[in-house]
Amino acid sequence: MIDSEQHPYVEWIAREARRPVVTDPAARERVMAAIRAEPAPAAHVPLWRRIVEPRALTLSPAAIGLLAAGLVGIGVLAGGFAMNRDGRMVDQPRVGVAPQLPVSDTVVRFVLVAPQAETVSLVGDFNGWDASKTPMARAASNGVWTVTLPLSVGRHVYSFLVDGKWSVDPNAPLAPDDGFGHANSVKIVRRGSVL
Amino acid sequence: MSDDAADVQRVLAGDVDAYAALVDRYYDRCARFAIRMLGNRDDAEDALQATFLRAYRALNRYQERDRFSAWLYRILVNQCRSIAARRAHRERVFVREEALLLNAPDRTVAWSGEDEEFVQRVLNELDPLLREAFLLKYIEEMSYEEMSALTGVGVSALKMRVKRACDRLRERWERIKND
Repeated sequence: MIDSEQHPYVEWIAREARRPVVTDPAARERVMAAIRAEPAPAAHVPLWRRIVEPRALTLSPAAIGLLAAGLVGIGVLAGGFAMNRDGRMVDQPRVGVAPQLPVSDTVVRFVLVAPQAETVSLVGDFNGWDASKTPMARAASNGVWTVTLPLSVGRHVYSFLVDGKWSVDPNAPLAPDDGFGHANSVKIVRRGSVL
Repeated sequence: MSDDAADVQRVLAGDVDAYAALVDRYYDRCARFAIRMLGNRDDAEDALQATFLRAYRALNRYQERDRFSAWLYRILVNQCRSIAARRAHRERVFVREEALLLNAPDRTVAWSGEDEEFVQRVLNELDPLLREAFLLKYIEEMSYEEMSALTGVGVSALKMRVKRACDRLRERWERIKND
């Protein structure tokens, strides 16, 4: 129910909008016709069962060759580790192995030029898309809004909220359409970088 | 097991007609949201068709611990957003041409009594994100936690959107009253 202190006009709009709508029965038939043209959805198989259940694999000779080369590669990388005298593992310099992720010493600065804006905040996957969590501060003179925050290493999708309206970062690549009706930007955070 | 969960199991066991029971149960309620959100029945029917089709294709990923209605609504809200976004460009062109034709578009719609078309016009004037939050809160009567789970938006941001929507409606009332 609507708040008791709500304005009568707002209450009236809500009450009217709550009235059921009359729909065309043929529209449901069209939905079911489309459903019947679809292949049946398969029953769900949990991931663990898909992993542990034995399955027959057919490999081409080329795939067998690649697999063998990969196994040899794993052996070479494993050789990068060596035991020291008291039996503990020592991490030797390795070639071709990705650095360990993530780290917490990465600070990222976001900047947006918006001289006309009254409020700007940063929303993204790192703050749950919550407009209240990361407000941006405006420099007194030039209309530049900034915020600096620690981010984990990896790919982050974000957007600016300029006076409540979504706005992409003009200086960053765009993320693929997320199906939510607005574009987002992408920031790749690398280890130890201050961006 | 709820009716919904039982119907889902029947569909997954190969009984396509069990899906009709789910469509019957939720079509009208989803239609109300889609029409109020998108402002016209053609777009709303497209959104509903896409929603039920996507839900069917993804039915094996539906987890019984979630309420089927909440899961379906999440798909519906996303479909409405996609259709609204696709329509935005088309509409911008249309509105510009229409404004030229009518010379001066009527920005302050006069009071025309208790009528669905009027309410729809009032809702259409709201920014889509404010409209969506207002509809989920006061028309679908969801809690902020339910809305958050459904939209992926934080509770505080949703509260802000609902408040802004109510403020806009109140401002509109003040304009009408003073005219």
